[in-house]
Amino acid sequence: MKALQVLPVDAVDVDTQRCRMGPALMSSLGLRLGSPVLIRVLQGTCLCTAWPRRDLADGYLQISSQCVSPDLHKHTLTALTVHPAQIKPLTCLKLTCVKLKVFVQRLEHKKRVSERSLQELLDGIYVHEGHLVDLSGVKAEIRCVLVEKVNSGSQRAGLITARTCVDISTIQTVKHLDRQQQQVSAAPLGGMEDVFASLKEMITFPLRYPGSLRQLGLSCPRGLLLIGPPGVGKTLLVRCVAKDIGATLVTVNGPEVTGSRPGESEENLRRVFEQARDAADDGPCVLLIDEIDSLCPRRTGSSSAPENRLVAQLLTLMDAIGSHEGFVIIGATNQPDSLDPALRRPGRFDREVIIGVPSLLQRRSILKCVCREMPLSPDVDLNTLAEMTCGYVGADLSALSREAALQAMRHSQMGASEPVSMQHFMQALRHVQPSCLRSSIGATDFKPIGWEQIGGLEDVKLKLKQSIEWPMRFPEAFVRLGVSRPRGVLLYGPPGCAKTTLVKAAASSSHCSFFSLSGAELFSPYVGDSEKTLAQLFAQARACAPSIVFLDEVDSMVGSREDGSSSSHSVQSQVLSVLLTELDGVGVRTLERRSTCRKIALLEGGDQEDVRLHQMELQEVCNKDVLIVAATNRPEALDSALLRPGRLDQIIYVPPPDLQARLAVLRICTKSVPLHQDVCLEDLAAQTELFSGADLENLCKEAALLALREDGLAVSCVRQKYFLKALQMLSPSLSAEQLQQNIHAALQ
Amino acid sequence: MPGSALLSLQQELRRGFEALKAAKDTFDGGHAECQELVSSLGNLAPQLKALKQVQISETPLSGFPCLQQRLHYKLSLAVDALLAKLAEKMAALQKVWDAFAQQVFTVVQLYEKNTDALDISVCVSRSAVCPSVSDMLEWLQDADRYYRLQLMQSRLLLQTLTPTDLTSMETAPNRWRSVRSARQEERIADALCQVSIFLETE
Repeated sequence: MKALQVLPVDAVDVDTQRCRMGPALMSSLGLRLGSPVLIRVLQGTCLCTAWPRRDLADGYLQISSQCVSPDLHKHTLTALTVHPAQIKPLTCLKLTCVKLKVFVQRLEHKKRVSERSLQELLDGIYVHEGHLVDLSGVKAEIRCVLVEKVNSGSQRAGLITARTCVDISTIQTVKHLDRQQQQVSAAPLGGMEDVFASLKEMITFPLRYPGSLRQLGLSCPRGLLLIGPPGVGKTLLVRCVAKDIGATLVTVNGPEVTGSRPGESEENLRRVFEQARDAADDGPCVLLIDEIDSLCPRRTGSSSAPENRLVAQLLTLMDAIGSHEGFVIIGATNQPDSLDPALRRPGRFDREVIIGVPSLLQRRSILKCVCREMPLSPDVDLNTLAEMTCGYVGADLSALSREAALQAMRHSQMGASEPVSMQHFMQALRHVQPSCLRSSIGATDFKPIGWEQIGGLEDVKLKLKQSIEWPMRFPEAFVRLGVSRPRGVLLYGPPGCAKTTLVKAAASSSHCSFFSLSGAELFSPYVGDSEKTLAQLFAQARACAPSIVFLDEVDSMVGSREDGSSSSHSVQSQVLSVLLTELDGVGVRTLERRSTCRKIALLEGGDQEDVRLHQMELQEVCNKDVLIVAATNRPEALDSALLRPGRLDQIIYVPPPDLQARLAVLRICTKSVPLHQDVCLEDLAAQTELFSGADLENLCKEAALLALREDGLAVSCVRQKYFLKALQMLSPSLSAEQLQQNIHAALQ
Repeated sequence: MPGSALLSLQQELRRGFEALKAAKDTFDGGHAECQELVSSLGNLAPQLKALKQVQISETPLSGFPCLQQRLHYKLSLAVDALLAKLAEKMAALQKVWDAFAQQVFTVVQLYEKNTDALDISVCVSRSAVCPSVSDMLEWLQDADRYYRLQLMQSRLLLQTLTPTDLTSMETAPNRWRSVRSARQEERIADALCQVSIFLETE
């Protein structure tokens, strides 16, 4: 059969529930005059009565939108194409009873709605369960009704007659219906199922069990404070909860309420509460105050009077809503300590929910959600992406997927849609940094370095892998054998022997957050600033755990308390105290707690996927700490308290390269240098005793410069004589005395 | 069989349209009479308002005993009489509509009983003297629904007329006029014109 062209409904057929089609189509579908039909169109359904077109023309269809599914409400059914297979004849009985939800134009019309008038309005209309019946053409107070149940649920559709018993379940306004339909397009959450459940329970308990709560003498919880860094999805969480329980969401931002005139801020706040109270009369309501720390700072002597009055106004308004059930206030902030303590007591913000930076499995859930509608190529591994995005919040992961899609668009032809591949995600990872690392102390953006890019030092590499990489990537093995992970690693040795490069390689292979701090960044002319900087660095490192904190030139940061009583009050001693506390402190502060370790029930994937998820879950449970890596040239200058087990557990000596190591370093340094055939790296390695890695790199650079100088800029390779000449010019940066000193320290 | 079913349905349709013609005349007349009564009611409202606001003790009529109470009683009696007459007329119109609705129900039931013999091609065929069965059924059903809703709206309007709500009583004449739909009335008149020749043929 041919498809039907949908035309607008004739004016005479408005409010008659008639759809008009050709007589031949009616015969082929076995329809009679006025037969009920269900038309599937635009992901919804219309229930109409079939009548022939007046001009008896075939190939056209006019659909009445009087009884439609809620998706099609306020849709104009025209300029469409409907296939005859989408028209389904129904067999409808005359209904004995029907249960309806009534929507009126205004709330004051509620008292005028009666079962009798509703029954007369609906007489002769076919209704379908879950459909909306439009009654606005009758010029009555009732605009539309939602059919909730038909004939005690045994049937789905039927005809309302004069003998049908009409039951009204609730009466709401049309505005409430419009609000419900606008919220359908919210995206599902990822990784916040436990917070979602507790939030939903808190709002729905007073609504569903008001009698039980009153019997127990409990007052319903009224307020909830969401605490978390920016971008973790606090606002999205509240929106999803409000949509899920059908609540009205009233959002107010702190800066919006603040006004310039005296009393304007309080007036704006009262208006917002009045708006929320009006919405609460219509149904459950959630009032979300975003950035509440900017609205209600702590009331101290130094803050100004208008801010204090605004805090007092909010406290008064929150205390006054005790009698309103179904009204919940949610505040969102990322600086809870800036809030007034009066706000955080029970009776106002009863509960505090902390949403931390997402952990490994949470990041995987978020990536699944944000990439749900993207065409991904088969090589995209969300598990690997979740591992590589340590410290990323939900907003960062959304930006990452967006950037990857942009990369795919750039590489594709004009207009062609290419699937997003893992390569696009890798490129996007360079552009999107974790937002909790931006503008933070110690954030380091370094190029990933592999272990093979460091020549020699195989023993040191193995020790570093055992100390840094293995606990990060295989924590379950450590737990199985009962081995505790090291809290800190100290690298010491002569300068220029690749200590910093080794730490970078370890951080790259561990896939964790990396913080670096040097003495120049730490010290400040203000008293107490250095200690605050160090404490803040560790707080951020814990928020992005698992992470590595690298303290370069640690001897210049922290002094030794054994130098004498004259320097016991120096800044270095105080910084040392902060570092010792961070290394061996008692417990974790409440605000830095991550998500609860409730088991996430994932019902997907095969055996291989289950094994991978199990491994990721083990990594998430075990990896919660911050590993501290320190590097120094003078280990003897460090305080002995730092060097004991439990703090800087592993003390690794990084020696200058020996013959084999120097040969390996030379090979790496000359990998991109065209060498002449007479160049013998073995001879060069033998002649460079006491040369450090940096010295060897400088040697290769100097030889190339000599070749450019003497053979002209068109030189094609470097000869052995230039290496020998450079060797005469340079001298090793290490001395035998320095080496003896370090060897002596290593023997301790 | 198809011929006899069609003939019996057409006969029933004739009876339906005769009932529609009678109902239309009764509804038109009844609505006009009620319009006069509602207008009188609308006139009484400002009189009651004025009586409530005036201070008779400060006028030359202060010598008459209990004048305000007696005037209020007289006006209330007039309001009650008008409301009683309106209720009577609404009951009469309801009876007329019940008869018409029963006739339409009979026509639809007869069609549903004979749907096997009356397929779509028979129902949509029309001639110069006889509209199609489909069109005539539509017109009858539309008239049935229109008069039922008009009755419901009229009844709801009269329910808001209470002696305590004078503003509602004052605006009643305008609201009563909006109960009738000119478009629907025109459609019913047009339908009756189209079936006039059909009704005359036996």
